[in-house]
Amino acid sequence: MIDLAFLAFIGFVLVLGLKRPFIWVLLYVYIDILAPQRIGYGLITSIPVSLIAFAAAFGGWLLLDKAKTSARFSFRQGLMVLLLAYCFWTTQNAAFPEAAQFKWEWVWKALLFGIFLPLTLTTRARLEGLALVLVLSIGTIVISTGIKTVLGGGGYENLKFFVKDNSGIYESSTLATMAIALVPMIWWFTRFGTVFRPHWLVTGFALALTLACFLVPIGTEARTGLLCIAVLGLMALRYVKRRVLFLAGGAVLGLAALPFLPQSYYDRMATLGQPSGDESASTRVAVWEWTIDYARDNPFGGGFDAYLGNKFTYVMPVKEVDGNTVSVKYKPVTDEARAFHSAIFEVLGEQGYPGLAIWGLLHLLGLWQMERLRARWQNRSGEAEAWVAPFAVALQLASVIYIVGALFQGIAYQPVMLMLIGLQIGLHSYCARVESLRPKEPRTAPARRPSRIRPRRAVTA
Amino acid sequence: MIDTLALALGHVLLGIALLRLALRGDVDDDPRIIALQAEAKARRKSTNRAVRRNADVAAASEHGDD
Repeated sequence: MIDLAFLAFIGFVLVLGLKRPFIWVLLYVYIDILAPQRIGYGLITSIPVSLIAFAAAFGGWLLLDKAKTSARFSFRQGLMVLLLAYCFWTTQNAAFPEAAQFKWEWVWKALLFGIFLPLTLTTRARLEGLALVLVLSIGTIVISTGIKTVLGGGGYENLKFFVKDNSGIYESSTLATMAIALVPMIWWFTRFGTVFRPHWLVTGFALALTLACFLVPIGTEARTGLLCIAVLGLMALRYVKRRVLFLAGGAVLGLAALPFLPQSYYDRMATLGQPSGDESASTRVAVWEWTIDYARDNPFGGGFDAYLGNKFTYVMPVKEVDGNTVSVKYKPVTDEARAFHSAIFEVLGEQGYPGLAIWGLLHLLGLWQMERLRARWQNRSGEAEAWVAPFAVALQLASVIYIVGALFQGIAYQPVMLMLIGLQIGLHSYCARVESLRPKEPRTAPARRPSRIRPRRAVTA
Repeated sequence: MIDTLALALGHVLLGIALLRLALRGDVDDDPRIIALQAEAKARRKSTNRAVRRNADVAAASEHGDD
């Protein structure tokens, strides 16, 4: 039954795309994020819906989209092409060819779509449409997670998502990071949305969705999510008008939520301050040290999943319960093939220093470009231009939260983030087009400093 | 049950959003850019006209000097 519902929805969107081929791009975004073919269990699993959507998106753009003539290829897209080519080269020379090939199979698709996406984002409606589909696709997962958390179905590795394979966006820490990253974007729609115009219903939905987003780190007990909430709060201080009120409100809300949190949540968050007490946290430090050594020996990277070669021993406190007595003993633990647990170390180990430089530049340029857009467009008024600066701020905050989350998770090639990068590039190109068409403001000559040279006296005959 | 509810809500909203987008003309043609392009064209035309007028005036005055 659910398969038929998904297929009917996909069919409906495919028909809509006949009128506006850009809708097929949004269909691919929806399928890539929500993965209906993995939620269903019958007919839909045998149909390559993702491939069909990609073919429709690319073919529709190439053959039917009349707006493609105004598309621009940006420097950041060039960086993604370079990263794609470099990843291909490291995959051919990978330390673990089979595992590398397996990861390459999805990374190249995500990167290619990230390169392609900005070419389709030529109008404001398209930028908004993509942001809306991103928010609603992730929102669908978040709503379910939020309700389950409220009804007591949460817990570390206990909370069940639509897809139960702990991969992609359905990995608890990844979902927590991306859900928090999208909160500023959710609130952008309450002020500037044109698909769903500002209305109390939109604000009510945004409030409920934001609450659900904050419940994801609680329900999944993802420590990274808590960190992302803290970063969002700190970054929001830059933009809110009443900072003291914002801080006081945040503190009151936080304190009010404390009694409702389960003990397991406190126990897990306590390991943030004592990473040595938790295996997952302890191995991170050991893996990162191993990666630095590995990159010293392999500066051009070891290809995807190079972490499979790691092996290390570290000391960890182990609790032993004997009747009423709990003793803690420090025991050496040997671990091998532990994942990178950080996007930065993931790229460093897999793509070496050149890959890390490209990846880092791609993200840092995004932060800088969004900051420039915010600064240049923040005083623009009128419906046609007032939306730009807040949109840039929402995308910048999403980037910052992703980068903070990525410090502790191997999500360097996360498709949702690549789509957000596409959205940043699209916005930057759109604004550049608008700027190029505006009349140039006449440059006023800088006021000349009074000359210290005394004027010559007039010579009288 | 919760999953079905969340999936239904998400898909209804996505469906409405995509339908509204499909029915909008500004998905393919941005009104702001069209307006600016029209302004730029008008500006170019008036500039060309002014340049031509100045050239004509200059030519006429040269002939007058002769």
